[in-house]
Amino acid sequence: MKKRLTLRSACITVATATLAGLLTSGFILHSRNSSGTKTDRESSGTPASDGKTTSSPVTTSIPEAKGMPVFGHWRNFTTADGLPSDHAYTVRIIGDSVLVGTHDGLAVYRNGKWRTYTTKDGLAHNGVVSIDYSKLTGDVWIGTLSGLSRWSAGKFETFNQFNSGMPNDLVYCVYCDGKDLWVATGGGAGRFDTYTRQWDIFTEQNAPMHEPWTYGVSTGNGKAYIAAWGGGVIEYDLKTKKFRDYTDPDGFMEIDLQPDDGLIHDITTATSWSDGILWVSTYFGMSRYDGKNWKGYFDHDSGLARNFINFLRAVGPVVYVCSDKGLSTFNGETWVTYKKNDTGEAGKAIIRTGNSIKEIPMSPCISHNFIIGVDARDNYLWVATAHGVSRGELIK
Amino acid sequence: MKRILKISIITGVLLIAGYIVHFPYHKWARKHVNYITATDDHPLNCISCHLYLQKDNLLARMVNRKYYSPLNLAVSDDGSMLFVSAQDAGMLLVVDPAANKVLKRIKVGNHPHSVAVDSDKKICYVTNQWSDDVSVVSLETGKVTDTLRTGNGPAGLALSPDRKRLFVVNSFSNNFSVFDLDSKEEVSRLSAGNNPTGIHFSPDGKSAWITSRRALIAPYGTPVMTELTKVDAAAQAVSEHRNIESAYMMENVAFTPTGDLALFSLIRPKNLVPSIQVERGWMMTHGFGVIEQKPGGRCVQLLIDEPNAYYPDPFGIAVTPDGKKAFISSSGVDCITVISIDSVRSILNTVPPETVATYANNLGISSRYVLKRIHTGANPKGIVLSPDGKSLYVAEQLEDRISVINTDKLEVAGIIDLGGPRKISVARHGRRLLNNAGHTFQNEYSCYTCHPDTHEDGLVYNMASKDMGRNITNTQSLRDIAETAPFKWNGLNQTVYKQDGMRFSTVLTRTEPFSSKDLDALTSYIMTGIPNPPDLEFNPNGELTDAQKRGKAIFERTRDFKGNEIPVVNRCVTCHPAPYYTNRKSADVGTLAATDDSILFDTPHLNNVIFSPPYLHDGRASTLEEIWTVYGQTEQHGALNDLTKTQLNDLIEYLKSLRDPAYNKESGRIYRASLSN
Repeated sequence: MKKRLTLRSACITVATATLAGLLTSGFILHSRNSSGTKTDRESSGTPASDGKTTSSPVTTSIPEAKGMPVFGHWRNFTTADGLPSDHAYTVRIIGDSVLVGTHDGLAVYRNGKWRTYTTKDGLAHNGVVSIDYSKLTGDVWIGTLSGLSRWSAGKFETFNQFNSGMPNDLVYCVYCDGKDLWVATGGGAGRFDTYTRQWDIFTEQNAPMHEPWTYGVSTGNGKAYIAAWGGGVIEYDLKTKKFRDYTDPDGFMEIDLQPDDGLIHDITTATSWSDGILWVSTYFGMSRYDGKNWKGYFDHDSGLARNFINFLRAVGPVVYVCSDKGLSTFNGETWVTYKKNDTGEAGKAIIRTGNSIKEIPMSPCISHNFIIGVDARDNYLWVATAHGVSRGELIK
Repeated sequence: MKRILKISIITGVLLIAGYIVHFPYHKWARKHVNYITATDDHPLNCISCHLYLQKDNLLARMVNRKYYSPLNLAVSDDGSMLFVSAQDAGMLLVVDPAANKVLKRIKVGNHPHSVAVDSDKKICYVTNQWSDDVSVVSLETGKVTDTLRTGNGPAGLALSPDRKRLFVVNSFSNNFSVFDLDSKEEVSRLSAGNNPTGIHFSPDGKSAWITSRRALIAPYGTPVMTELTKVDAAAQAVSEHRNIESAYMMENVAFTPTGDLALFSLIRPKNLVPSIQVERGWMMTHGFGVIEQKPGGRCVQLLIDEPNAYYPDPFGIAVTPDGKKAFISSSGVDCITVISIDSVRSILNTVPPETVATYANNLGISSRYVLKRIHTGANPKGIVLSPDGKSLYVAEQLEDRISVINTDKLEVAGIIDLGGPRKISVARHGRRLLNNAGHTFQNEYSCYTCHPDTHEDGLVYNMASKDMGRNITNTQSLRDIAETAPFKWNGLNQTVYKQDGMRFSTVLTRTEPFSSKDLDALTSYIMTGIPNPPDLEFNPNGELTDAQKRGKAIFERTRDFKGNEIPVVNRCVTCHPAPYYTNRKSADVGTLAATDDSILFDTPHLNNVIFSPPYLHDGRASTLEEIWTVYGQTEQHGALNDLTKTQLNDLIEYLKSLRDPAYNKESGRIYRASLSN
């Protein structure tokens, strides 16, 4: 009896192990460019491969993502790679360069190399917290902790509250809208007409914000949307020059008493408008507004990594959400959230549609879960974190 | 007998009466003229002042004339036509150089500046610097067929090589516009330097350089730096902002035919040293810059001056089609300087770079490459070569004619009279004096050099008097100053006569003073003939914006925002009342520097103040904002510390709207024709 049981057990064990091994190997994602060239990488707005290998999971298709882009092949950059500081506040992809705002200067990644610009080069301040560029002129606008810089063909020009009509030197956000530059500062929002060189300032004195501390600004659909700390979202109609605001109907209550009744919270950190949708990040969740209806998202009932959101950026139908516990991406239906494990370089991508969740291990993953900036273009996703910047490639 | 007696008595009575009246009157007149002129020997000639200082009444119209004052010109592709911007007449003149004849006089906008011609389409484009537009002129009909709105102060312009785009340099708003000529729409506007003016495409059409006149604003003591802006023609974007050190007033640029070199005119000011010495170029030197058009190419500065003779105010620059010669108009001494490009290349290719770098300060170098000086009429400005390179056409602005120079023989071969008035009015003579360096030591500079376009050059100088290094002062504008006496920052010159009289020759020209006749003429021009451009960007028609209205209320307020009464002496409007925004008194506004003698400063007028940075007597404030954000802490310069940033911005917007009162008289009209003197 014992001998038969041992044989039987062995067979079962071997069969189970084989099955487990097959299942495990089936989860190893493999991604290869179908043409075998670097064409896609070069056209995506980031430099060609720098020769370093990555070992993230590869897959040729992720049906669970339902069309949402999933990024892998993560490459992380820190001071060891040439960044001036590991504290990265913002990132922007401009042409074939990637600009990263750090605590110690502006870092530019081009042709596989980092180059840093500081106050010695004419930058207003080494703490660079926001970057945007003008499609009309190619000028790069840089918001810093002490002033605004325009970077044009290699030359920095500084604007501050003393030498210009700029509202305040603490420039949290810059946004280019045609010939206008919008800024969100610690002393109000401002719009600079680059043709007439005139500043318009919006503060609690002339706009429905209860204090002038503004974190973010963006435009879309003929309107500007200012994220006013504690003031919700201030909407400015560019044509009629009239304001209205969107605030949390629940007031100062930290719970969402009535779901989807309006903006999710008044402490807003960023706005981004794309494809007819206004996305708003707050310290207590995220909101989506289609012009008529609001929808709120929390970490407990959605794929949102965390309610505490530093920043978000919408690119086409996808919003990229920077929280203090990972990066979430969402297209209105499906979430893909990237989180690094507590130890080591590995992490995962969590794909969630409704209650359906799928986790994809990645090694390496993003460099840190405290995320402050993001930009995506074509096949690349760049993430600014508290420990360097991470670059992910679209998994096909 | 009785009749003779009567006549004798009457005559005697008249003589006695005249005797009684004459001497006191003569004494009074002498005293009056002495005060006005600050001399004791100026002729007692009532007419020289009282007639020729009339500004815009019947008398003024009788004694003055309307001149053309050609500034720039272009030539058709086949060389058969010249197109001349007549700045004071507001016209485009179409000239047949072979027939020596003006064919058409076409009314364009206000103060036309430059011309570009599309020979294929038979269209001329003319920038109107004081209309903020470009006139599109059909050469077939001789009419303006379209008008393109530009930025502020359009000056130089250039057609892209494919003739599909027009690049227009906006000299007052420090940017340039790119127009799509199919849609006639402005497609972009990009920043470029400070007071940019000239533009020229490289022969391959891939890039263009834009020159700037004013230096980048920096604290006094910082070496002067002026920008050359490079434009990527295909991308329609700025590809380089190159700072040219120790140079400014870079009026125009040209390329060699092969495109390997770009040449631009320049002036090298010595504003950082006290103006003790003029000899050896210690005030100003003049020359041209050369930029090698290869990656990492050098920029070299070379002088056209000589050790004992200077050639100030270089303006136009042109290079012959064979690339052998360059011509520069030295408008301050009425001549064209001819440069050998081969000699310049030899210097660049054979002299060690560290040695070449010293040539910018070497007055003895010009003999290596200056072939000749060709004398012209008064104030040669824009120049253009015929397509075959055999003729150089020179716009003699204060002569109302075009001189034609044979580029082989290097001599004037002909003159084209544009048909301006034959008579040179007193004010016109004064204008010639202002633009000519003949009254300065070795012709080193003219009034125009520090007061380009009779404005100011944006620099701060140490006009040394008895103490070196003291009393640093900001150049002031000469535009419409007749009603704003006294003059000079210390307010010690009560008239222009005194400003430009003996003191002028002692401190500035270092030669004999102007003769009485010349001084009268110069004063006549300054007092009557220098209008301000309209403030089209901030106050085109007298209607203030909401922000400007709020700013005006702040400017005129008597109480601060806390309800406290502002002392009368500390209200803006007390020292700066309309229409010239000066009470013509001196005041202490808390800006006395350690290097200043203990004085009060003359209240400056504020018309067109937006065009005059930097600010305050020593130029310490780079922008209007800084007058109060950085330098207004003591509230001696107006009680404004209760303002929020928004309110300060409103006040600044109002200050930007302050324009010449002459435009307020014609508030129904947007544009105002130039006085023509």
